[in-house]
Amino acid sequence: METILTSAGYLTDYHIVLAALIGVTWGIIGGALPGISPSITMALLLPFTYTMEPTSAIVLLAATYVGAEYGGSVPAILIRTPGTNAAAATVLDGYEMNKQGKAGLALGISLYSGVLGSLFGLAMLMLLSKPLAAVALSFTPPAYFALGILGLSVIATLSGDSLIKGLIAAVLGLMVATIGTDPVTGGTRFTMGSSDLLAGIAPVMVMVGLFAMSELLSQVSNRGEIERVNSKPRIEFPSLKLARRLIKPQSIGGVIGTFEGVMPGAGGTIASFMSYNEARRWSKSPDEFGKGSPEGIAAPETANNAVAETALVPLLSFGIPGSNSTAILLGGFLIHGIVPGPMLFQRSGEIVYGLYAGLFTAAIGLLFIGMALLPVCIWIVNRPRPYLNAFIFALILSGIYSIHNSLFDLSIMLAAGVVGFLMRMLKFPFLPTVLGLVLGYLVESSFRRSLVISGDNYGIFFNDRISLGLLCVSALFIFGSIGKRIWDKFRNQKRDTFSEGTDT
Amino acid sequence: MQSILSRDLIGGAAAIVIGAVYLSFAYDLRASALDDIVGPGGMPRAYGWVMVVLGVALCVVALVTRWGTDARLEWRGQGRRILWAAGLLGIGIAYLLVVNSVGYLLSMIALIAATIVYHGERFSAKVLATSVFGGTLLWALFVFVLDVSMPPGILAFFGA
Repeated sequence: METILTSAGYLTDYHIVLAALIGVTWGIIGGALPGISPSITMALLLPFTYTMEPTSAIVLLAATYVGAEYGGSVPAILIRTPGTNAAAATVLDGYEMNKQGKAGLALGISLYSGVLGSLFGLAMLMLLSKPLAAVALSFTPPAYFALGILGLSVIATLSGDSLIKGLIAAVLGLMVATIGTDPVTGGTRFTMGSSDLLAGIAPVMVMVGLFAMSELLSQVSNRGEIERVNSKPRIEFPSLKLARRLIKPQSIGGVIGTFEGVMPGAGGTIASFMSYNEARRWSKSPDEFGKGSPEGIAAPETANNAVAETALVPLLSFGIPGSNSTAILLGGFLIHGIVPGPMLFQRSGEIVYGLYAGLFTAAIGLLFIGMALLPVCIWIVNRPRPYLNAFIFALILSGIYSIHNSLFDLSIMLAAGVVGFLMRMLKFPFLPTVLGLVLGYLVESSFRRSLVISGDNYGIFFNDRISLGLLCVSALFIFGSIGKRIWDKFRNQKRDTFSEGTDT
Repeated sequence: MQSILSRDLIGGAAAIVIGAVYLSFAYDLRASALDDIVGPGGMPRAYGWVMVVLGVALCVVALVTRWGTDARLEWRGQGRRILWAAGLLGIGIAYLLVVNSVGYLLSMIALIAATIVYHGERFSAKVLATSVFGGTLLWALFVFVLDVSMPPGILAFFGA
């Protein structure tokens, strides 16, 4: 209750409201562009947040995530092309409804379910984050080290079909994190005498390069054309009778979305498909699924929008980004010198409550902006790819330059783009690299500080109860996902082949 | 003649090379009297060795699982893809080289025009108008709205 009242106070801050509405608008547009994932949409905004006040900056990025999760359903329904990976499940029935002349109703169900999913996810976020963070308040350096290991243990889940490739990608990120000044002695490492590298490589350069720049390189190398929309549908909301029928799939989507969002590494795509399957299993008309069932849109859209909120639980409570999008959001926090995790609620409580208020504004704003932006989305979906990509390229270069007014930063971003392109080609996942990059400093500095404190006694990691608990959870994560891999292999079940630009 | 150079084998080899180069730099890090037991080189050396071992493992897995299959099929059309991507990268590098002397506004207009044309559009009045509009919009956004000091270049006289 106290959380709700404190957060409500921030609803009168016009900076937060404005940031939330701009974020949702940008997110819907970005999400509606096939190939531009929520994380890319957020990464494009990241450089702009440098000059912003911290709370507004975080709200802008988080609201973009919320908007993008809905935006992805627009091309999924209209042109059978999911704008985001999480919207892939919406294609199944959304496009079928479009073919039956019910595109407006499909878009209405998607929007209305997305708003409900966002509000449900926000309630869960507010309920779960603070208690978890309170547990984490008594953190010591060994516990922080164990927390970093817990974050890295997610890699086993995020590595697609090859664990070795995921680990290589993660070590690459850890290597990049060692560039710059040593966290304990203050000496320089791997700077090659360049003063530009003394402070290390900012994660934002690598993220924009890996996600956005590599996507441009990938698209220009494919030179494909996207399908065009012929009709101009208007949003139509479901009747009371249909709305009642949708309560069950929406509840299923909300619960699965919450569970998957809280688990690092699960994410919107898995939540959408799981809730689609469960909605079909519990439906009175399972035969309609795949042939234009409204329930087949309601369940996945509620789920992926709930994930957009609950994915912030591990980020806010432990500082662990469980998906590409939350990794970008973590970048947004770090840009302003704020470290999410155990101390966040103590040191920067106003940012958390402002974020809750911003997310509430974003969820409500989604309804109205979603309706208003439909013609814009249809127009954008039909833009020729050359013009769109040229503008995105110009935006990336301008945004990255504006961070430090440095051409060196642009070189780093372009280099990261090339690495990302080659990783896509060789089918290496990105997210482990990002995790390695953002957690590398925490892991190394906490590990070495712990040893300094304990007089080089490695037992400190097992004597500290929190550290021991987190290391045990990490071990469970690692062995659990390895066990699942073996089980899948045994059952001949194919895993996601690889997480190229995905928002897991 | 079959090729064994699958994507995984190339990826594994790349990991070995990256790990080896990184290790050579890691072993060159100087020790100091202030060093803790791990030292500045401790973690980098561990990362380097892990990278090399994982690279070897990926190569072995690639050779074992793809034995007898022709890896050339995996690479069909990839050379052309790399060349197309390199072209866009070239436009970005050209922008980096000229932006300080030519200035942000003009180089941005040129970058947008070049990128559109590179994507397959014929140069036309529409392309030119879009480039001028896009470049001017970004220039106004960054210079006036966000107050970012972009390189003025040859338009310094006009305050651009």
